[in-house]
Amino acid sequence: MSETNVDKKVVKNQSEESRKKFDVGSWLIPIVAVLVAMSLAAILIKLQGSNPITAYKSLFKTAFGSIEGLGVTLGKSTPLVLSGLAVAVGLRAGLFNIGAQGQLLSGALAAAWAGVTFDGLPGYIHIPIALIIGAFFGSVVAGISGFLKAYRGVHEVITTIMLNSIVMAVADYLASGKLREPDQFLTRTSEVAESAKLPIYGNLPSGFFLAVVLAISIWWILGRTTSGFRIETVGRNRHAAWYAGIPVKRTVISAMLISGAIAGLGGAVETLGITYRYAPAFNLGLGFDGITIALLGRVHPIGIIPGAILIGGMRAGAANMQFDSGVAPELVDLLMALILLLVTAPLITRFFKNSSNKSMTSGWGN
Amino acid sequence: MIKRISAISAALALATFGFIVPAQAATVEADCGKATAFCIGVVTDLGKVDDKSFNQSAWEGAVAGAKKADGFAKYIETTDSKDYAKNIALFADKGYNVIVTVGFLMGDATAAAGVKYPKVKFIGVDQFNASTATNVTGLIFDEDKAGFLAGYLAGYLTKTNKVGGVFGMKEVLPVRKFGEGYVNGIAYAATQRSKKIKSTVVYHAAGDNAFSDPAWGATTANQLLTQGFDVIFGAGGSTGNGALGKVAQKAGALCIGVDTDQYYTVPEAKPCIVTSAEKKLTLGVSTLIGQAKAGTIKGGNFTGQVGLSPFHDLASKVPAAVNVRLKKTTTGVLAGSISTGFKG
Repeated sequence: MSETNVDKKVVKNQSEESRKKFDVGSWLIPIVAVLVAMSLAAILIKLQGSNPITAYKSLFKTAFGSIEGLGVTLGKSTPLVLSGLAVAVGLRAGLFNIGAQGQLLSGALAAAWAGVTFDGLPGYIHIPIALIIGAFFGSVVAGISGFLKAYRGVHEVITTIMLNSIVMAVADYLASGKLREPDQFLTRTSEVAESAKLPIYGNLPSGFFLAVVLAISIWWILGRTTSGFRIETVGRNRHAAWYAGIPVKRTVISAMLISGAIAGLGGAVETLGITYRYAPAFNLGLGFDGITIALLGRVHPIGIIPGAILIGGMRAGAANMQFDSGVAPELVDLLMALILLLVTAPLITRFFKNSSNKSMTSGWGN
Repeated sequence: MIKRISAISAALALATFGFIVPAQAATVEADCGKATAFCIGVVTDLGKVDDKSFNQSAWEGAVAGAKKADGFAKYIETTDSKDYAKNIALFADKGYNVIVTVGFLMGDATAAAGVKYPKVKFIGVDQFNASTATNVTGLIFDEDKAGFLAGYLAGYLTKTNKVGGVFGMKEVLPVRKFGEGYVNGIAYAATQRSKKIKSTVVYHAAGDNAFSDPAWGATTANQLLTQGFDVIFGAGGSTGNGALGKVAQKAGALCIGVDTDQYYTVPEAKPCIVTSAEKKLTLGVSTLIGQAKAGTIKGGNFTGQVGLSPFHDLASKVPAAVNVRLKKTTTGVLAGSISTGFKG
């Protein structure tokens, strides 16, 4: 009993020390996870009778081999950066926000509404308004879960996941009813006004740069500001935070509001930059991919960017891969699932004994 | 040395006179884009080529068409509805001659691709083509005729004189055509039999899940069953399939499938499924590919064939006299001499 306690202490001290240095081991984990997942998937491709090298070559050449391909990749990565960031902010505050999907959907629909309704405004006013409205609605949806968590003790995993279904049903109801494009039967809104469309520079979507700037800002806020410190402290130990005089309830709610706003912004950027309208099938799974990406990026706002580009690139190249090698595009989902499994399971962590073995998800039991 | 030269020159001579090169070789993938090649690309809607529904039927049509035209066929499965244009471009940029796109959701993307790639022939399955482009052909069907025949048969098979239907959403034109044709077919049978037959068709309330709500389909079918309806037509993706599955649980009740021969695709409906109001998708696609090969494809819209599927296990439920009448009515409906009463 006492022995194990001592052991734990030693391990903890080691990890505290290693965190002060640049934590190489911690960043090797996702890289190794990706490589192991790709090797495992290669075996499966081989068993199907296709050539894994042809498949991977086609996948990555399409995604990163040309400026057009890179444009598509960054376009696909943009909502993933934002949904990953949303999940990460929640995790930093000790909240497991599974609801990024619902928050993203409400942002996407709200931005489509704003993009259609405020026709006639100049672009430099119209775009920010539509983005802010999208972020606001995402924030409202997440705020419900934050409030219930802070004042009613309802676990956020339950409420966010249930709100996903509610938001989806309400959004589809509106898109097939009040907000439907007139004179046609499909469930979708009208196309947003030209002034609400995010500009594309060359082939590169401007939404991506917005997402990167936001990721850097969040990194700065979490590391360098009082509110960031509060979020981090509540995430690590809410009792200690309370004892130190941090308003825990308010911090929980504001973390959820920020998380939801980022997810909502992800939906808004997708609407204004890629789809130009809301339709039910457009945003499938973007919020859920955010969970994988947040964990792949070690819950670090900057680490999320390469994670999102990797996943976005694989999504962009999947059709070409099927064209060139016959491998079904679901391979990408398989890879993502393997990566998630490897990143979260302590399997790889054991090989890097010096790395900080901190738990990335402290949502349960808090 | 001399031997080798003579061998080469002999080979050259043979090649020149066409003895070595076969007159008409089946196209291989590497040739796509060359003048002699005939390549067909299929872009599925969200879903796989083995979905036992539209995607699969269209793909089978492409394979059959390729075989007949000595061509090569290949597919891409769409996983994100934002990628329609991108996936079509993959085939078009590689010089494919014919591109088949599946499902009405791809209509806009197909029309746009038709403008962008004027040399490629596009076949839009289940897409009404409103454009005047000569390289885009919509493959559409007279669903009202298929529905009418289903209703006619149902009108002869009912014992309680109550015939029902469970449908996807009314705003989708093919669904409404099925529904109205069905009701009119029932009425036609009722007149012939000089009996009063009650017909009730229920449409799913518009919404994203109108075609993917098997629970609603089952509940609605159950309501009809408890009210004494004994023949039920389920038409509307998995919503309709849910209805079929429910009818199968009630002894003596019959059900009718839609689009493809659902005896094969909805195994749980086998106890009740007497026929399906079928759109001959595979035949339509392969016919259009043949036209594209021959250069006779015209653009606009091509009306594919419809009809009722075989009765399979329940053939004994259909009396010979009824079958004779059904055949006669089928001929009349398909020829247009019997009106389905669908006004649009």
